[in-house]
Amino acid sequence: MLIGIDVGGTTTDAVLIDEGKVIKTSKVPTDHDHLLECLLTALDEIVRGVPPERIERVVLSTTLITNLIAEGKTDPVALIIEPGPGMNPEGYSLEGEVQIVRGAIDYRGREIEALDEDQVQKAAVKIAERGYRKVAVASKFGQRNHAHEERMRDIALGTIPGVHVEMGHRASGRLNFPRRAATTALKAAAMDEYRKFAEEVAKAIAGRKIEAPVYILKADGGTLPLATSVEHPVETIFSGPAASTMGVLALTPAGQTSVVVDIGGTTTDLALILDGSPLISSEGARVNSYLTHIRAFAVKSVALGGDSRVRAEGGRVAIGPDRAGPAFCLGGAEPTPTDAMRLLNLISIGERSLADEAMKKLGEDLGCSAGEAAQKVVDAAVEMLIGEIEGMFLAWEEEPAYRVWEILQKEKIRPQNVVGVGGGSLGLVPLVAERLGARGIIPENATVANAIGAAVARPTLTLTFRADTERGFYTVAEDGTTGEIRNRKFGQKEAEEMAKRLIIDRAGRMGIEEYAAEAVLTASEVFNMVRGWSTSGRILDVTMQIPAGLIPEWTGGGRG
Amino acid sequence: MKSPRELNGGARKMGLIFFPAFDWAITPTHPEREERLLYTRDQIFEEGLMDLPEVEEYKPRLAEHKDIARVHFCIPSVEALVTEAHLIAAGSTLVLADAYMKGEINNAFALVRPPGHHSMRVAHGNRGFCNVNNEAIMVEYIRRKYGIRRVAIIDTDVHHGDGTQEIFYHDPDVLFISFHQDGRTLYPGSGFVDEQGGPKAIGRTINIPLPPETPDEGIHYVLEELVLPILEEFRPQLVVNSAGQDNHYTDPLANMRFSAQGYARLNEMLAPDIAVLEGGYAIESALPYVNCGIILAMAGLDYSNVREPDYHPGRFSMSRSMEANITGTVEYLQGVWDAREELTAKAVERAGPFFRRHKNIFYDTDGIRERQTESVKMCPDRSCPGYMTIDTDAVRGYGQSESGFGVFVPLFACKSCREEAREEYEAHKTDSRYNYIFFQEKNRDEYRLYSTRMHNERVY
Repeated sequence: MLIGIDVGGTTTDAVLIDEGKVIKTSKVPTDHDHLLECLLTALDEIVRGVPPERIERVVLSTTLITNLIAEGKTDPVALIIEPGPGMNPEGYSLEGEVQIVRGAIDYRGREIEALDEDQVQKAAVKIAERGYRKVAVASKFGQRNHAHEERMRDIALGTIPGVHVEMGHRASGRLNFPRRAATTALKAAAMDEYRKFAEEVAKAIAGRKIEAPVYILKADGGTLPLATSVEHPVETIFSGPAASTMGVLALTPAGQTSVVVDIGGTTTDLALILDGSPLISSEGARVNSYLTHIRAFAVKSVALGGDSRVRAEGGRVAIGPDRAGPAFCLGGAEPTPTDAMRLLNLISIGERSLADEAMKKLGEDLGCSAGEAAQKVVDAAVEMLIGEIEGMFLAWEEEPAYRVWEILQKEKIRPQNVVGVGGGSLGLVPLVAERLGARGIIPENATVANAIGAAVARPTLTLTFRADTERGFYTVAEDGTTGEIRNRKFGQKEAEEMAKRLIIDRAGRMGIEEYAAEAVLTASEVFNMVRGWSTSGRILDVTMQIPAGLIPEWTGGGRG
Repeated sequence: MKSPRELNGGARKMGLIFFPAFDWAITPTHPEREERLLYTRDQIFEEGLMDLPEVEEYKPRLAEHKDIARVHFCIPSVEALVTEAHLIAAGSTLVLADAYMKGEINNAFALVRPPGHHSMRVAHGNRGFCNVNNEAIMVEYIRRKYGIRRVAIIDTDVHHGDGTQEIFYHDPDVLFISFHQDGRTLYPGSGFVDEQGGPKAIGRTINIPLPPETPDEGIHYVLEELVLPILEEFRPQLVVNSAGQDNHYTDPLANMRFSAQGYARLNEMLAPDIAVLEGGYAIESALPYVNCGIILAMAGLDYSNVREPDYHPGRFSMSRSMEANITGTVEYLQGVWDAREELTAKAVERAGPFFRRHKNIFYDTDGIRERQTESVKMCPDRSCPGYMTIDTDAVRGYGQSESGFGVFVPLFACKSCREEAREEYEAHKTDSRYNYIFFQEKNRDEYRLYSTRMHNERVY
């Protein structure tokens, strides 16, 4: 049996799945100060009467880190950065204590200016005096040469008592130094709180005699063993929308293109599944004001929900962005989209006479009948969603491309399905689908699609391999490892084989070796380096990935 | 008429297209190969420049064949001469042109390859790494679509922008200024002070040959003393920087001493509306830093921390004789600019009913030798630039010869010139001395190619 639990902003949802069928669900309100208790209450409800040994897998998705960061409850972090030549480092929007030190590494990982160790030392003393116990060190191009970051770490460790240091190249191997510095700082900030949470979860689950492996869901729709996840705390943010999207992937036919519409109380989350693959944002996620390197689904949040405030503005209907709810028909004080949908019989929750009253009031402001007002509200809501959905497809089409083939092959695609999950979807999704010429789907168990998505998501993994044969070395960005390449003839075939070996090793270390075979080559490029009209070496970039997907227990089972 | 920049007062972003064409090369070891912008990619992405609120990244598109035919007589055809990479580089400039003209952005940089400024109106193949002229395609697209008339193109590549010069040589509304390493010491061996524009456009082409090893100081002097004052008087509605990066002190194909700081400052001073990358082959030691500097400068950000690892201020200075050489050139050209009206009147008088010149053009990349006779009608209507015909004959390799006859009608040509030009085109369709007959009618945005062998006509 599989268990999926999503601790969301409003409710905590759990499902129990047996042989590809959802056999039990539970839903409890989320109490932000007691997330663990919510999680366990939801868990206990679905495992009641189930022999613990029958449970094969538990996957959790939690807003813990999202909340901690949003509420500023993470540990304070001091940054030591080595920006080298380029932008004025004062222009980086990094908050809090930032110490800038001299030294530089270039794009090929060559030291172009020695690290000023005295300056690092002085920075560390200042950081110690100001009482920081978490430090992030990041060097521009530190992912191509780790020496300066390692040296900065050593100095910080030797100077600041009881300090924990995170290094940039371990947080991400992708280009973009400000994002890497921010991601490293967030990682350092969230580490302790997350570890505490993970340990408590592990203990509570063990206390229930559940010996099945426990996973945590990441923003890219992949799972990570709970034990390894403590090394990657910030990757667990925004797992809620990822859970819903994975749920839709699980509940719709394979290989299709769908829009995921998750309509909640005050917001609607939109995500895309293109030919059966959830769309990953080409840049990392934005966390509050920070741009990061965290891989996440491209999710668009729209300020429109069942409880949004509805009013007349200049003779037209305006919806949101603030919340008025609960709906008038459910005992609230102001008209909402839910009231409009109730009056038009698009949904059946709430008191229809109250909905009529709410729409009458709105109709007076608009100079029309209650029924017409309700229609206008629904039309306006559908219009908003259509605009955002088309914007998302357009943004995907307009993503910059750097190769001729990428420009030539990108075609215009439109969704086959509009899939509604979450409470408020029932009324609007069929209308949105109709307008887009797509099939409207409200899957069975739509209100717990997020928990289903968590339960059946498989691990994801990325490995970015780069070799510079002229300089005779390779780096694996995500591991922070470097190695020598002695073979002068090292080419694309060798690079791809090596990347494959490395991702299998890495899967082993992450505790997900059984999925290593799913790894696919997502990019492989060779640049011949020509110096003085002859080839002096090659730069080889190879990316391998286990992309987001569903575990075989689901796809091979009773999926519709 | 207000310039788009004045109308764009509200926009604060710079528009950027980065198209490194990582899957396109002239040949595997050619300077114009996949690797050229690799380290530039690393540097500007690592800087996070695309995340800045001051920078808006756009996606390239393919230019249409008609956009190419608006500028070039491509032999044997547009389709045969350009690859998709060329269409994307040219198309990128059009995307930025539209964004700029619509007021979405304050200025723009097309950081794209392959380059184009050595491509002339007649294009038989690749010369100086260029097949089609990106700037000319963009300028003609903008003039056609948005009704702009006066444009200034400043060519800051180390090589003379001979293609762009040739395309606009007779156009009094396009000011073309090129500074470059003296043509006696570098490809393409042209761009001397006496190349000043056609009879009706004297002073609208200005060439500033600079001595080898000219540093930042020299180029900034030229800008301040000559280029900027001329621009102020000319009052262009659009300023384009044909932005080569091979004046750099480490460039392997040239001998100048320009730095990344110098390039950033140049773009700050010149404040082009749209910059388009041209050459620059110091792919590791210059391009990552130069491009970073240009982007920051155009975005209005502090570029003072951009520097090459081996650079320090004051590393290069000018000798007395170099200074005298440059001031002499600047003074002479100021004189030409000031006297442009009288010089134009004299040149028109001297030319008679038709102005004719003969040209020998060498395509270094493709090994083509071309002979041209250009003939411009000296229309009595002073405001009409007259129509032009070009007689071309090119020998590729050992003996295979292609010939063509092109008729070009500029946008502001008078009615009688337009009619006469069309008759010329029709008459030459039966002229078996030529393989191809071309017709460019800017006013009607009509472009034709007639094959005398196949007896068919293609209309773009």
